[in-house]
Formats: sequence, C-alpha cells, structure tokens
Amino acid sequence: MKTITRRGALAGAAGLAAATSPGFSRAQAVKPRLTVISQWSAGSDGAAITALGKKFEEKGGVWQHSPVPGFTTEMMNKLRAQIMAGDPPACSQLKGPEIAAWSKIAPVATLDELVAAAGYEKVVAPDLAKLHKPGGKWIALPLQIYSTNMLFLSKRAMDKAKADKVPVTWADFNALAEQMKAAGVTHPIANGGTRPDDGQKFEAAIAGISPTVYRAAFMNLDAKALKAPEVKAAFAQVRKIADWMDPNTAAQHYSTNLKRFVAGEMGMMIQGGWAQGVLLNSGFKLEDFIIAPGPSDNGKPVFLLNADAFIFWQRKEADLQAGQKLMAQLVMDPAIQTMYSQITGSIPVRTDVDLSGAGWSDGQRRTAAALKDAVASNQAVLSLAHNMAQENGMTAAIIDVLTEYVKNKSITPDQAVARLTDAVEGAR
Amino acid sequence: MSTRPATLDTMRRLPEYLVIWVPLLLAAGHLISFALWTIWVSFTPSTLVPVTGWVGLRNYNAVLATRNWNIAFDNLLLFGTAFVLLSLLMGLGLAILLDQRIRGENVLRSIFLYPLALSFVVTGTAWSWLLNPGIGIQKLVNNLGWTSFRFDWLIDRDMAIWTIVIAAVWQSSGFAMALFLAGLRSVDADLVKAAQIDGAGPLRIYRRVILPVLWPITVTVVVIQLQFAITTFDLVRALTGGGPGIATQLPALVVYDFMFQRGLLGRGAAAAVLMLLTLLAVLLPYWAWRYVQHRRASRA
Repeated sequence: MKTITRRGALAGAAGLAAATSPGFSRAQAVKPRLTVISQWSAGSDGAAITALGKKFEEKGGVWQHSPVPGFTTEMMNKLRAQIMAGDPPACSQLKGPEIAAWSKIAPVATLDELVAAAGYEKVVAPDLAKLHKPGGKWIALPLQIYSTNMLFLSKRAMDKAKADKVPVTWADFNALAEQMKAAGVTHPIANGGTRPDDGQKFEAAIAGISPTVYRAAFMNLDAKALKAPEVKAAFAQVRKIADWMDPNTAAQHYSTNLKRFVAGEMGMMIQGGWAQGVLLNSGFKLEDFIIAPGPSDNGKPVFLLNADAFIFWQRKEADLQAGQKLMAQLVMDPAIQTMYSQITGSIPVRTDVDLSGAGWSDGQRRTAAALKDAVASNQAVLSLAHNMAQENGMTAAIIDVLTEYVKNKSITPDQAVARLTDAVEGAR
Repeated sequence: MSTRPATLDTMRRLPEYLVIWVPLLLAAGHLISFALWTIWVSFTPSTLVPVTGWVGLRNYNAVLATRNWNIAFDNLLLFGTAFVLLSLLMGLGLAILLDQRIRGENVLRSIFLYPLALSFVVTGTAWSWLLNPGIGIQKLVNNLGWTSFRFDWLIDRDMAIWTIVIAAVWQSSGFAMALFLAGLRSVDADLVKAAQIDGAGPLRIYRRVILPVLWPITVTVVVIQLQFAITTFDLVRALTGGGPGIATQLPALVVYDFMFQRGLLGRGAAAAVLMLLTLLAVLLPYWAWRYVQHRRASRA
C-alpha cells in the first residue's frame, strides 16, 4: 500500500489510492480524477484547455491531460492504441460522425442524467445535438463552435480598393475581388494549400449557393443532388477563387499568409472563426480585419458548423467516474464556455450565452448572431471539410477530388462533378 | 579442435550465439509476425480497429480502383527509377573525383555524407522553402535581375515529383559515394599498375579494370536505394504533402492515409501488402542473382 501511495502521489495523488482501496472510497467521497487526450497543446487551443484544467483543479479534481500535438490523426492513433489496450482515457477529443463510429468499438459512458439535470439539450442546435447522442444517448459533449465559412476582410486591402461594403452574395464577393485586383491587391484571396483548406473553399461556395443542395448532397450523399447544377456552379466559383489565390503557397498552412493579408497584399480570406484567435495570437489587432458570415446568395447567413467535442469512455474506477461527472458539468457550464471561447475565438455551444459583454469581439458576436439566424432559417449545416458531415473515409475521398480541382486548372466543372460522384460511389 | 568435447566448444561459443541469434530471431519474429498480421488484416472488413471476418480480395480491388493508388504507383515507377539512377551516378562521380588523392578529402567526404545525417522531415522542409517560387531559388534569381527566370516545379503538378527526386538525391548520393569510395579503395593497386604498364589511359583503366570490380557494390547500392524509394514517406509528407492536389502521392502515403486518416485499416493493409509485393519484385531477382553468384564462386 505504501509504494502504491507514493506512486499515486506522483501520478495523481489520492485518486489512485482511493481507487485501490474500496473501503476508503466508500467511507469518503473520492477525489475526482480525469485522464484526457487531445491534440491541443500550443497557441490559443493549448491555453484554453490549460485554463479548463485549472478550473477542474479548482473544483478539487486531478487533471491529467496528455496532449498529442500535430494532426488530429495522431491524437486518434493514441486513442486507438489505448482503446485496443483496454485502457481508454476517461475523456478524449473527438468530433462529428466519428463519435458514432468510435462509440461502436469501445464502451462509452452515458451522460443522459447529467445533460437532463443541466437542461442542456434545449440550448444546443438540433443538428449538433444529434451528432453527440448517436442511438439517442448522450455520450459526448460539444465544447465550442466555429463556422468554417467566415469571411475575413483585410482593412488595408479594403482601403486600397476604396471599398467599404461587406459582400453578402457570391456576386458581391466576386465584384469586390475584381475591384481589389484592379486596385493593386496582388492576390485578392489569402489562402493556404492544405487539404481542409481546399475543401473549405468548396463547401463555402456550395453552401452559399444553396444550403438545401449542400444538405442533400454532402450531408445525405443524395446521388441526384451531387450532380445538381448548383454543384457545378460551386466548382465554377471555386475556380474563380483559385485564380485569385497565390499559387506559391503550395502545401503551406494558411497562417503563413496572415502577415500579407493584414498588410493588404491579400484581400479576403475564407476561413474558420479560429483564424481570429490565430490572428490575435500573432500580434495583429481586431482593427486590422473585418469578420462577416461567408457569402450567401439568398442573403440570409449560412452557417457551416464545426464543433469540437469531448467523448467520455466507460471506466470502472470511482475517481475517474467522478472526474467525468465534474468534467461534463464544467463543459456544459455557460461560464466555462465563455472562458474557453474567449481564449480561442470560437463561440459557445449554448445558444443562451450573452455575447454583448467585454471580452467578445464583433466577429464572435456576428458569428453567434449568424448561427441563430441560420438555425431559424434552417441554413445551419455541418462542415464537410472539417469532418462534421461524413465519416473520415468519405470525407477524404471527396476532398481528394476538391484538392485536385483547386490545384489543376485544366479540370472543368463538368469533369469535377463526374469525379465527385465517382469518388462518393467508390467510398460508400 | 575436433578432439575437444562438443559441449565445451558450445559453451565457449555461447556468447557468440547469444549475441547473434537472440536479436536476429527477435527482429525476424517481429518483422514476420507483423507482416503476417498485416496480410491477415488485408482480408478482413476492418475499419477503425482490426476485426475478424473474411472479405476476400475486396480491399485489394477497392485500393486498385482508387485514383490515389494509381497516381501513387505511377509516381513510384518514375521516382524510383530517376532517384536510383541519379543517386548512383552522382555517388559514383563524387567517389571517382574524391579518389584522385586530393587535398581536404576528409572534409569534402564529410560534407557530401552530411545530408544523410539529417532526417527526411528536415530535408523536406528545407527544400520546400528553397523550391517555393515565392521565397526560394526562383525569387533569389528574380531579385538578382533575371526576372523571367522560372523554377516553379513545386507547384507544377506535372513536375512536382521531380522536386522529390532532387531532395532525395541530395540526401543520399553521399551514401552511394561512401560505398563506391570504399569499393574504389579496395581495387588491387597491382591490377591498376599492370594496366598502366600495358599502356592503358585513365579512362580505359576505369572502364575496363575498376568499374567491373565495382559491379557488386553497384548492385548493393541499387537494391538499398530501391527499397528506400519504395518506402519513401516522410520526405514527401514534408516537401509537398502529396500535392499539388494529389499529384505526388506515393504508396506509403496512401497506406498511411487509408489506415489512419480514413480509418480503413483493411484497405490500408491491402495497400501495404501491395507495397510488400513491389519490394519483393525488387528483392527476389537480387537474391536469385546473389545465389547464382554464390554457386558460380563455389564451383570455381
């Protein structure tokens, strides 16, 4: 017992001791402990989860976070290894349809009671809620929301082009890009060259042209909708965007170009709301750019939803179970969501959080308003490029087509539609 | 020796056996068991985690039908051939030049060998900046005054695979050089002298006397470089990310993509087995050649 206690003190103090001696845990409330895996290790993401861990510790818990930096896949490999070894973390980052897929390979904890007690379901967008309760049971909790199709405008590029109107439709957007180009903005579109980046340009185009077709084609994989004229029009719009981008970006991350974007050498950026956090973290000011909802041809905002979430894996240890309960309560807490989103630049999952106070940016307020409007007009859809609409296998097959199309100007929109339908059939 | 009891002999040689056979068996067991396991997974309907079941050749058919795999395989043929030939020529050229008893040979040798000490991720990242037309070599030459100079292979989907060849050759011709240099130094000096006395010029000596001696080393270099080419992963990942688009995919990237990005272990395993078969296509002829050589040598 003595050696166990000492090791326990290193790893997680009394939690382990309590777990190894049932008499103790019965006599006294266990100290909540939580093992967490996420990819968030640095920048605003790392700062946010560290702050969440601090809150967890303030409530008397033991926070054991193992960040796996890099791509989400690296985090998933660690998760897979731990699940196969029979030792899943009490809680891990996971999102979108992967929650349902992964919940089939290992037992998960059910959060229904906690969600009901918090009255949480009423304040979460319905499409989002569905992703976190596959089979009707809450097993995961969304943490924060981003829109993947926010439009960032460089103030200096706008000044150069003598433009002051934020574009609403794709026609407005194209006109502004031409105007910027004529005024000497070398590349009206700031871009990265990664796969999700290319996918994002396309999903912004198709969802802005018709959210109905987007829902049918990319969320429900309707074979007819995939060949709809709107999809072809979206490919044509993406070609325009691609022609305005800097081809030299190769496979670089979009953040490489932020400096040129702020300086007005690049005009607009279609990027997720997280770019705000990245811009601010890089030392730029809110006055340097404008954030608005992405172009939408019917004038009402379209919200391409991306949400980070935590899934809770079934554990028998009393301290881990107590930790899961505490974590779930924290994640659903409006104060915690406020703290988290203010660090990362996202918006809270809860639709009842007031964003009028200090600490929120206009961009975040506009994003939250866009979500509310989009939900009301049924134009809040799940992002394809960021793995919210389909499982990873299908997403990757579709993005192959999109990324090739962006980089290869000899592919016509008609050919692209044909390749898209082939890719979807091949991955079904 | 033969009068000594067998057990004593074994006892004396026990450390040798332990040192050689234990690690060898462990390594071989590791390799073979995982290879067998992968082959088995490739016939199962496994997705996120391995599961039992039998789907026959379905995973293979699915992989062979994807554009990704076909592009990757074409790229492998091009990259493999170009990389092996160029690194061979570069290595041989450098070795011959270094073999001229020049001053500072040690320094030069270290310089040429040094890239090998870098990880491919570093090589790939460094070259990705050098080859980027907006910031690298093209920009430098443009700024020097030659404004029409173009060197944008990195973003040209037809030429991008050659950027990987450049980086890979830069990285590993030093290795080929080291092997060739050792070969050149092992050439019997008397042979060279005899040729000189017979009035052969330096070119003729290289062609007729030295290069034939280097033949086995050449085969070794080719085989080592080829198996490297087939398993190239990190270099592409860092240099082009498989792009522009999916233009520079290579089989190892496709395997990784299927297994970990798409969560399709079965298909990934099938792609990995196809890679193994490609490797065997290189190694089996090599082993056969070695066997024939061996037979010939023992008969002589």
